[in-house]
Amino acid sequence: MVEFLQFTLSGVVFGMIYAAVALSLVLIWRGTRLLNYGQGAMAMFTTFVAIEVIYRTGSYWTGFAVALAAGAVLGAACQLTIIRPTMNKPPLNAVIVTIGLLTLLEGLAGILFGGQYRSFPAAFSVTGLRAGGTPLGVSRFDVFVAVAVLVVTGALAAAFRYTSAGLRMRAAAFSPTIARLSGIRVARVLTIGWALAGLLGALAGVLVSPSTFLYPDSMDTIFVFGFTAAVIGGLDSAVGSVVGGLLLGLALSYAGGYLHSGASLVPLVALGILVVVLMVRPGGLFSATAVRRV
Amino acid sequence: MSSETVSATPALAVEELVAGYGGVTALNGVSISAGTAAITAVLGANGAGKTTLLRAVSGMIRPRRGRILLGGGDLAGRSPEQMVRAGIAHVPEGQGVIPELTVEENLRVGMMSWPSAFRGGGRPRAERAAALDEAYQRFPPLAVRRRKLASSLSGGERQMLVIARALLARPRVLLLDEPSLGLAPRIMAQVMDLVVQLSREHGITIVLVEQNARGALAIADHGVVLNLGRVVAAADAPTLAADVALRHHYLGF
Repeated sequence: MVEFLQFTLSGVVFGMIYAAVALSLVLIWRGTRLLNYGQGAMAMFTTFVAIEVIYRTGSYWTGFAVALAAGAVLGAACQLTIIRPTMNKPPLNAVIVTIGLLTLLEGLAGILFGGQYRSFPAAFSVTGLRAGGTPLGVSRFDVFVAVAVLVVTGALAAAFRYTSAGLRMRAAAFSPTIARLSGIRVARVLTIGWALAGLLGALAGVLVSPSTFLYPDSMDTIFVFGFTAAVIGGLDSAVGSVVGGLLLGLALSYAGGYLHSGASLVPLVALGILVVVLMVRPGGLFSATAVRRV
Repeated sequence: MSSETVSATPALAVEELVAGYGGVTALNGVSISAGTAAITAVLGANGAGKTTLLRAVSGMIRPRRGRILLGGGDLAGRSPEQMVRAGIAHVPEGQGVIPELTVEENLRVGMMSWPSAFRGGGRPRAERAAALDEAYQRFPPLAVRRRKLASSLSGGERQMLVIARALLARPRVLLLDEPSLGLAPRIMAQVMDLVVQLSREHGITIVLVEQNARGALAIADHGVVLNLGRVVAAADAPTLAADVALRHHYLGF
């Protein structure tokens, strides 16, 4: 029972990180039907920036803030410089450009920051919390991870739902033609979408790196899990990506905990879940496509 | 309105417009002028270039040559975002609501071309709310469904929503592409009545593209007939409707 509680809680924590990565992918997918393969590498790069800032200033929170800001700037800059020229070209062009972004950033990180594993500090204690005498399997920092992702995704969801800028982004995503004819500067909206995606990715990078170490391809696995979570959720739905992240986090945590030699099976379990979801609901759990076809 | 006054005070004048897609030239030197607060019907068979003409005027495609004159300035080559700010609203074919948004959100999208309140000269929140109220008063069925998704509306209600959204941009010129397409005859008549109202009572210049030439000429002041990307006839509506040869050749009635 205690084991189950521990696996559940740690599954939720990792699930929130997958959710953040998934949401960053969904933000870009919704606007341009493009999967950004460079998302993980962008997060890795901004986390390296954070570690350098923390090392120089001694302040975790300065590094944290700089990472998020760098994520937003990097996202916007990538969109403006290398993605925008691929618009109105065959879709494969943009895909290849994002794969190029992935290799470029990982190479640059190796040159600038070195290839060795670096430990990334946590904002709070990583000692396991206890309820009474029972170890919960999560730390104060894990609680911070879950709360941080919830706050940021909640704020984003509220902004999308209730603000004029959010309405502009949704209109541009659902119907770029009508949006442009109504006066919405869709190109600018897409840049903002990339900035927000970069910010979310940076958040995921800073939150996950204390448990994974940081090295040039350290975010690759997280990216794959985030992508899986996004597909489970339907790629189109912000709520879906959070639910998908949580489901995947829990499933992987139980698999890693209960299965014999579970840890090595985790990627296979993720693949299995992906296959089952795609067979049962090809559009993902929260996809709107089925509704739209009626 | 007689054709003389129409040509004397054009709100929108298109001169020698050439436009197309890739290697295909869909408009080959088209000139039309739409009189202020008048209804100009653009008629012709499929592939005549009617939709391309509207798309070029609203900036959805870039004309290769020619001028688009509105209020003295040449707008050819501007983007749709700039065209709507200059006063040209385009309702594309196919009841273009955004189905994933609510009725009210669709209407708010119509005000996105308004100057932002942040940049000074912007309109206050109250004015936006008043504009929404006005839209609901004109279209009561939309008020009832304001919180419902646009995908839940009937065909007639969707057309209402699309026109209401276009009007919220406060256009001087409204481009309507087949607004009666796919509607029941009774609803079609309501939409046509609405178009007349917009020009007569609100002084909006209307360019109406219609497959249903008889219905369009019944409400239009002026008509232009396109064939294979060229103007083959332009006259006041009764003259076009009375020209038997033209009707048989190009208009199918």
